[in-house]
Amino acid sequence: MNRFTWIVLIAVGIWIGLDSFYVVQEGEQGIITKFGEYRYSFTDPGLKWKSPFADTVHRMQKRILTSDVPPAEYQTLDKNKLVADPVTRWRIVDPITFFKKVRDVSGAKARLDDIVNSELRRKIASHDFSDIIGGERDPLMDSVAQSARQQVKLFGIQLVDVRIKRADLSQEVEESVFQRMRAERDRIAKRYRSEGEEEAAKIRADTDKLKAILLAQAYEKAQELRGEGDAQSITIYANAYNKDPEFYSFTRTLEAYERGIDPKTHLVLSTSNDLLKFMASDD
Amino acid sequence: MAERYGGGGGSSNDPADILAGVMSVLQKRARGLGPIVVALILVVLALTGFYQVEPGEIAVLRTLGRETSRSEPGLHFRIPVVQTVDTVNTSEVRRIEVGFRGDENRPAEAQMITGDGNMVEAHMTVQYRVADPSKYLFRLADPEEVLRSASEVALRSVIGRTTIDDAITRGRGDVQQDTLETLQRLMDAYQSGISVSEVKLQSVDPPAEVKDAFHDVVRAREEKEKLINQARGYQEDVIPRARGEAERTIREAEGYKEQRMLMAKGDAHKFSSVHTEYQKAQKVTRRRMYLETMERVLGKVEQKTIVDGALAGSTVPILALGGPAGAARAVAATNGAAP
Repeated sequence: MNRFTWIVLIAVGIWIGLDSFYVVQEGEQGIITKFGEYRYSFTDPGLKWKSPFADTVHRMQKRILTSDVPPAEYQTLDKNKLVADPVTRWRIVDPITFFKKVRDVSGAKARLDDIVNSELRRKIASHDFSDIIGGERDPLMDSVAQSARQQVKLFGIQLVDVRIKRADLSQEVEESVFQRMRAERDRIAKRYRSEGEEEAAKIRADTDKLKAILLAQAYEKAQELRGEGDAQSITIYANAYNKDPEFYSFTRTLEAYERGIDPKTHLVLSTSNDLLKFMASDD
Repeated sequence: MAERYGGGGGSSNDPADILAGVMSVLQKRARGLGPIVVALILVVLALTGFYQVEPGEIAVLRTLGRETSRSEPGLHFRIPVVQTVDTVNTSEVRRIEVGFRGDENRPAEAQMITGDGNMVEAHMTVQYRVADPSKYLFRLADPEEVLRSASEVALRSVIGRTTIDDAITRGRGDVQQDTLETLQRLMDAYQSGISVSEVKLQSVDPPAEVKDAFHDVVRAREEKEKLINQARGYQEDVIPRARGEAERTIREAEGYKEQRMLMAKGDAHKFSSVHTEYQKAQKVTRRRMYLETMERVLGKVEQKTIVDGALAGSTVPILALGGPAGAARAVAATNGAAP
């Protein structure tokens, strides 16, 4: 054999050698087919052996994948229109089934989206708008995922979850929501204003009441004090004058004369008056 | 050099490339330069085996596709072709914006429905870092994009459970916290290897279409406060004055009481003193007091008429007393003069 033949032989040997193994990366899985016939699946990364030339490697993703459908309009139980944008996370768990049924990721997405959409449509149609928006959203989406999960299992797909990325109102509903919001805000603003009036009136009334009570309490106390003063002075006078009522009467009368008779008084006196009795006779 | 994440897996050990390399080596060897060229290629290959990991990064090393080790910052070596390296920055805190990008508003992304059927525009930032490089690289396709859509899912889900008033005012912290928790739960379920460190609501506003109505509510609330404050002002003004007035009334009464008692005591003392002396010589004192008083009284009076007592009984005295009023007074004086 000449040198050229050797080189060719070595080259072919290397070629066969290289084609008898393949490397599976992290996050990859796939199947091996022999002349188009399925032989086995591989899911672990690393260096693997295969029959050179006869075996073909079909690689696919082992990572979690996303399918984001364009938003679509759905009708709720209470006949509201909802624009929802579901997003689905899934992964290939059975490479051969996946390969047979949908072949590749884009094929899988098409089937998956159909299933998720129809499940979502069904579930949304059996729920009221407010439930879908509010607290019921997560359970609802879990049940959508649950139903869809059973169906996509047939494609070798495991569905992780389905979530509504956006759930918006359709254009015409939106305007009515804005109107309602404005009306509600008006109501709240009015309430604040009248509450303000109410509070203020209460405070003023309380104030006036308190003022009246304060003054009345003071009046009560004052009258009591005045009464006490009068009463005690009566006692004091009585105690003093009771010693000789006749003398009191006498002195007090004299005092009354002095106070009651002023310079303008015209006095007509009789000589039979005790004071003037000596003018009539010296008896 | 090391291959960054996302660059596609496993092109460096393409059998065709290697084969071509080997073929050329063989050809060159045939010309006698073989050993030198082979050595040169080996040196170059060995040199490409060195890679550097920057501070804050972690390198994940795959040997024949399988993850075998990780390396910390520094200079490292890998076997070219056989080993592949992906470096991931695990300390850098990254940030995405939801509902806006920079100064630009994204209404479709920002607008969402609240639990009570209203609409709000929410702007949020999410801060995160890669916590688990292996998961980040190998478990989830396109983790960054997943994070973006999961952020929207989480925020809409939480806002969907919140009333508009809570979302706009009081419950903001709760919304942030709930969104963070929901988002982290989703990212864990997707095996993203991402750790969400902060969710911050930049703003939660009513949509532009209804903004005026919301501003009016704010104004109304301020007016309410104003009215209440004015009323409180009235209260602050009136009550202390009333207390002062009440106090004054009481003090006056106390003064009156004290005054009455003191005056009574004074009068009583005076009477007692006079009475004590009076008892010592009753008759003469009484006479003296009477006369002295009458003297003073009569001394003061400017007009006096004295009528003889003998006339009083028989004849009606006719006096010019200056009118009927004067006459009445005179008659009264006559009748009441006796002590």
